[in-house]
Amino acid sequence: MNRLEGHISGIEVSGGMSLVTVRLTEQLSLRAIVIETPDTAPYLVHGRKIQLMFKETEVVIGTREDLPVSLQNSIKGLLQSVETGTLLSRLQIETEVGPISSVISSNSVERLGLRENSEVYAMVKLNEMMLSE
Amino acid sequence: MISMDVQKRLMGADGPMELDIQLQLEQGQFATLYGPSGAGKTSTLRVLAGLMKPDKGHVTVYGEPWFDAQKNIHRPPGERGIGFVFQDYALFPHMTILQNLQFALGKGQNSDIVNRLMEITALEGLRDRKPPELSGGQQQRVALARALVQQPKLLLLDEPLAALDLETRLTLQDYLFELHREFGLTTLLISHDVGEIMKLSGLVFQLADGRIAKKGPPGDIFLPKRVSGKFQFTGEVLKIEREEVVYVLTIRIQNTVVKVVAGEAEVRSLQVGDKVLVASKAFNPILYKL
Repeated sequence: MNRLEGHISGIEVSGGMSLVTVRLTEQLSLRAIVIETPDTAPYLVHGRKIQLMFKETEVVIGTREDLPVSLQNSIKGLLQSVETGTLLSRLQIETEVGPISSVISSNSVERLGLRENSEVYAMVKLNEMMLSE
Repeated sequence: MISMDVQKRLMGADGPMELDIQLQLEQGQFATLYGPSGAGKTSTLRVLAGLMKPDKGHVTVYGEPWFDAQKNIHRPPGERGIGFVFQDYALFPHMTILQNLQFALGKGQNSDIVNRLMEITALEGLRDRKPPELSGGQQQRVALARALVQQPKLLLLDEPLAALDLETRLTLQDYLFELHREFGLTTLLISHDVGEIMKLSGLVFQLADGRIAKKGPPGDIFLPKRVSGKFQFTGEVLKIEREEVVYVLTIRIQNTVVKVVAGEAEVRSLQVGDKVLVASKAFNPILYKL
């Protein structure tokens, strides 16, 4: 599991759901969608410190920033290590907001030519982001 | 309402200890005492049962004083209208199951209750058997039924299921819950099993050093942090296996066994037997109509 810390900088509510923007640095904000509203979840407060949690198996790896994909949560980093198994590989990525792990297929590691010190973009769908106090 | 505010000096394993308990139970509530050994859980039950006399304070049950130190009231256990079930079943070995239950009837009490209890706890087929012929789970079902023959105002359970195997424990939890609901009982349970507490109990008193350190619904006590994932369960780790670069954990959630993939960081602090929160986003599960 990956865990990043930031502050809530935006809450967009519709019905029982909220799209929460969490600011990690000046340049980097990530978004999570949750089935909560400020009325049901006391931690949904503007400016509140919050943890973003997401599984390493939900982290998509890209090698370019401007890919035409729907994912908006994108964190730039440098590949620190690649641990390769027959089917799956674990990547450790160093980013400005801390280390991120990603588990992708070994086939994709090969296909994208990923190796230590490759520049990568770690991407996560907003419905895979969990919030925790 | 059952209200208790008592103090008693006890000799614990690590020297003297002050039991100082204030608790209140609403009628129909299923509450649990949780905490380490020697925290005062069994002593609290014994005070309620009248088996232990506090030094100070009072125990009041639906307006009736069961204990009042100032007025020198200490109602004996037999006059309190309680049911008490322990880990060992304490049945009469020479009597049949039916006789064991009938023995608990009060003078002139209608025996229909015995039949009803045997029905709910599925003991009818065993009515003419004697306790030594029964399994542990069956004997505990008898003990539970016997404790309810007099329709107690308060049911006290001191780790009644702790000695049973997992499957039997899960079945007995269902019987216990059904009895609690059917007879509108007020129940106070001692248990160390978080899954059991989450399943049965609406209120937890967490004891430490003879005092109530924390109280609240089980979710507030056992789920340490608020996590937004809507798909949340508590489970017990049964197995941890490494598969290539990930770990696959086998986890029991109530009576279902599931598998969860986890990373090294999560597994590092875990071992078999640990209780875990299993959380996922509501977006992930798929549904099939059965």
